[in-house]
Amino acid sequence: MSAFVFKMVWRETRAAWRHFTYFFVCIALGVAALVGVGLFAANLERAIQREARSLMAADVELRTTRLLTPAAEGVLMKLDGRDIARLQVSELVAMAAAPSGTQLVELKAVEPGYPFYGKLRAVPEDALATLFTGTRALAEETLLIRLDLKVGDTLKIGHVEFTIAGVLKKEPDRAAGAFSFGPRVLISRQGLEATGLVQPGSRVTYRHLLKLPEALSPKAVQGELAATFPDKTVRVSTYQDAQPMLRRFLRQLTMYLGLVGLIALMVGGIGVASSIRAFLREKLENIAVLKGIGAESGTILRVYMSQTLLLGMLGSLAGAALGAAFQFALPPLLKAWLPMELEFRLALLPFVRGVGMGLLTTVLFALWPLLEARDVRPNLILRREVADEPTGSPGLMAWAISGLLALTLAGLALWQAGSWRAAGLFIGALAAALALLNTAAWLVVRLARRVPRWRPLAWRQGLANLYRPGSQAQTVLVSVGVGVMIILAIHLVEQNILWEIGENVPTDAPTFFFIDLQPDQRDAFERLLVERGHTDARLTPLVRSRLWALNGQQVRRESYEDREHGWYFTREYVLTFLNDLPKGNAITRGDWWDGGGSSGLPRVSVEEEAARRLGLDLGSTVEFDIQGAKVSGRIASIRKVDWGNMSTNFYFIFEPGALEGAPMTYVATTRVDPREEVPLQRAVVAAFPNVSAINIRAVLDSVAQVVDRISLVIRFMAALSILAGTVVLAGALAATRFRRIYEAMVFKAMGATRRVLASTFAVEFLLLGAAAGVIGTGLATGLAWGVGHWILDVKWLFQPRALVWGIGVTIAGTVLVGFLSTYRILGQKPLPVLRRE
Amino acid sequence: MIAIRNLSMRLVSGGREVSILDDISLDVPAKQFLAIVGPSGSGKSTLLGLIGGMDTPTSGTISFDGRDITKLSDDELSRLRLQKIGFVFQSFHLIPTLTARENIAVPMELSGDPEVNAKADELLRAVGLESRGHHYPVQLSGGEQQRVAVARAFANRPVILLADEPTGNLDTTTGEQVIELIIRLNRDRGSTLVLVTHDPALAAHADRIVLLRDGRIASDDLRHRGSGAHP
Repeated sequence: MSAFVFKMVWRETRAAWRHFTYFFVCIALGVAALVGVGLFAANLERAIQREARSLMAADVELRTTRLLTPAAEGVLMKLDGRDIARLQVSELVAMAAAPSGTQLVELKAVEPGYPFYGKLRAVPEDALATLFTGTRALAEETLLIRLDLKVGDTLKIGHVEFTIAGVLKKEPDRAAGAFSFGPRVLISRQGLEATGLVQPGSRVTYRHLLKLPEALSPKAVQGELAATFPDKTVRVSTYQDAQPMLRRFLRQLTMYLGLVGLIALMVGGIGVASSIRAFLREKLENIAVLKGIGAESGTILRVYMSQTLLLGMLGSLAGAALGAAFQFALPPLLKAWLPMELEFRLALLPFVRGVGMGLLTTVLFALWPLLEARDVRPNLILRREVADEPTGSPGLMAWAISGLLALTLAGLALWQAGSWRAAGLFIGALAAALALLNTAAWLVVRLARRVPRWRPLAWRQGLANLYRPGSQAQTVLVSVGVGVMIILAIHLVEQNILWEIGENVPTDAPTFFFIDLQPDQRDAFERLLVERGHTDARLTPLVRSRLWALNGQQVRRESYEDREHGWYFTREYVLTFLNDLPKGNAITRGDWWDGGGSSGLPRVSVEEEAARRLGLDLGSTVEFDIQGAKVSGRIASIRKVDWGNMSTNFYFIFEPGALEGAPMTYVATTRVDPREEVPLQRAVVAAFPNVSAINIRAVLDSVAQVVDRISLVIRFMAALSILAGTVVLAGALAATRFRRIYEAMVFKAMGATRRVLASTFAVEFLLLGAAAGVIGTGLATGLAWGVGHWILDVKWLFQPRALVWGIGVTIAGTVLVGFLSTYRILGQKPLPVLRRE
Repeated sequence: MIAIRNLSMRLVSGGREVSILDDISLDVPAKQFLAIVGPSGSGKSTLLGLIGGMDTPTSGTISFDGRDITKLSDDELSRLRLQKIGFVFQSFHLIPTLTARENIAVPMELSGDPEVNAKADELLRAVGLESRGHHYPVQLSGGEQQRVAVARAFANRPVILLADEPTGNLDTTTGEQVIELIIRLNRDRGSTLVLVTHDPALAAHADRIVLLRDGRIASDDLRHRGSGAHP
């Protein structure tokens, strides 16, 4: 850089640093969002790596939903000789009863030695050790509160009265995930056996935990077990794959947060473009003078480009520092999902990437205004009344450079997101949304030009301010519109989900599920319900199974585990057999069995999405593994299921008789009056201690809480876009400040009062806010519909109230920011201003 | 009609106080055509602006028919200008987003005049721009722009017209036309005219010439022509 360029950069920045405040803040906010999320993701990954063994509480885990066969037990026993410690953990939902009431709990039974890794925290601290002496339990505080219990009281689970030995604070391997059925209760394995809860077909997850000696590699043991274990339904994993659901969830969450952060950067970029343009407009005379005294266009471009880069760099660094500060804000928001402590560490990579993206954005958005300014003619100094906007196209080179910059930026964004598909979709959608916003903003400005120029004055002048040369209306519309779009879309999606799981439940949907009913309890249970007036109860048989073969080809679960929809092959299927097509189901192809027997294989009806994923068609055969026994069927019909009907729904339904003899349980569904809930629950628990009552409303509430929390976290990031949009708005208004002051003073000289001036501004901001609000809410509706339709598969609920609110708040916000940026103009004296001109 | 007493204006510039006007006292009777002349920097335009209530003096009073305007609030000053004062500036100061006709209409719209359309057309005719009413300022020549500004200044039939170097940005011929227009309209409508200029030829049209030098009145020359009357 020549000395002249360097000096000019310094002089121009020194003279106009105020001007660059908005530029600086815009870039800083965007970079802060990216660096904040990047650092958070890096810290999270490090914590997960560090705590991986604790997250599993073991080196290797064998997970299954059924008791091990003697052969499988034999394989495990052989491990004992190799200095491998092992223990069994059983997890299930059950009912806990106390004198004050009953409560669904997540029961976990452990053996001495648990946990192999990590620390279980309880009060008193040694409470865990006491579990194995007598019938004792540890319970989470929420359970004690709900059932009005204290340490030392008793709690009945199944047939056993447990003494509460302590309060469970934290267990290292609790599957922190979407939601829970209830508070945790920890008991010993002997205790669980005594409860009588574990019956054939009961919904229990068994985890066999292994602790290996130093010399043995977990991967090697995993490979060995996967190959030799006789029961192929058992999932063997090492600590490195601990809590896959949680890790996937956190990875996706941070990815989406990063993408939302990208919006803040894009909005910031718009702010950069408008700041640079406004700055250069004021510099036109300087540029003309410089040219007049012999500076070349290239030199001038270098001066202002260097200045832009310098400011972009400073803004990005400040943003990176702010992003680091987010490490204190994000973990508390996500605390519920983090089974471990995050430590504050500064990783270099997110920093470098964030600052790089900040610089690229700066150059991308500043390039065009800078190239346009290059063409200023020196005779401008002689002829002041020049059109506000420099003319002339920046040329092919500018397009090429911009394209390259945009691609690099997109590449970095994809790299940050870590998922090409989701990030690519997102960036595509963002680009499309920006293009749409820009087009809509352009249309609004064009339309304003065509609106008849009615009086009163304030209306006419406010309207004219939207389309006059040098107007920042389009910039404001796009940047405010983006913010409105993103915040409102998040809200609409959240509301849609909540509506879908809350109010969209059919009024005749059952409110209670009773699970794990044994076949021999069926008649007594039905009698109990009828005695209590629940004649609408439905009992459905459930048979738990895994897919064994499709069209005679055995399903090798290992080959599907990493696939996106691989879980269709690897999941546990709950089968049933029914006479009649259940409510909320519709046959799309084939026929339902209406009485009559079938020749050959039993008939099966399959849900259409499962059929598609598994490649099943009418006539295909399926074979299920039911606790070691194989049952086959032939697809006779394909069904469409309304999953929102809040009833028991099935992927596979067999014709009656096909599953005879298989270990089964029953699920009973019924509608219960809120006043009857507690008495019914108590009566059931008293008569059938092994049966768990699931209150649908409580479950939905728990899901709603999760949705609420996720949207809170995403909103935190989206708020940065809104903030950036506000800064762009304030910056755009600041850019037109001199023009505003001048015109206001001419009006004042002619006798306009402050009220008239204020109304003129009010009309302008009102129109801007209304247009940005309408465009933003329109696009938000489209976006939310797209997300609901294509990604979340929820029904669409039109929410006019939210839209009206969206527009109203945008107008209020725009008018407020506009007022704050301009009210000082109103009190100025005309003479000094007009004499300067 | 206008009574100025001990008027001073000081500004702080570059950290030190600069005196722009120093103890000016002056009476301007109704319908007088007063020219304020002086070298640049003598304080002419500042004095004119203060008379129009466009800034607040450091000390002294300016009274219109006995009412001290230096004590008025910002909005009261705006209303005063709207009702009584017309301005013509050296650099026209038209609103760039409004057409010529709309620019002329603005003062009448501000005062809620119901006949704004007819009067705007009449004013356009009076300044000879009836065919240019729908043009924007940038589409007009300097002389045309100043004629629009003159028409705007007369829109609300002001009792005082203040003109600050109205021909300063115009060539001689155009300048002559504009000044004749101002004087003619001023006579027709019987208003007081205060004209700031450094052009002796323009000042020669006036009833009275006040010479400012370094913020003080250096001479006050009453010429008794036309209808003006010295107190």
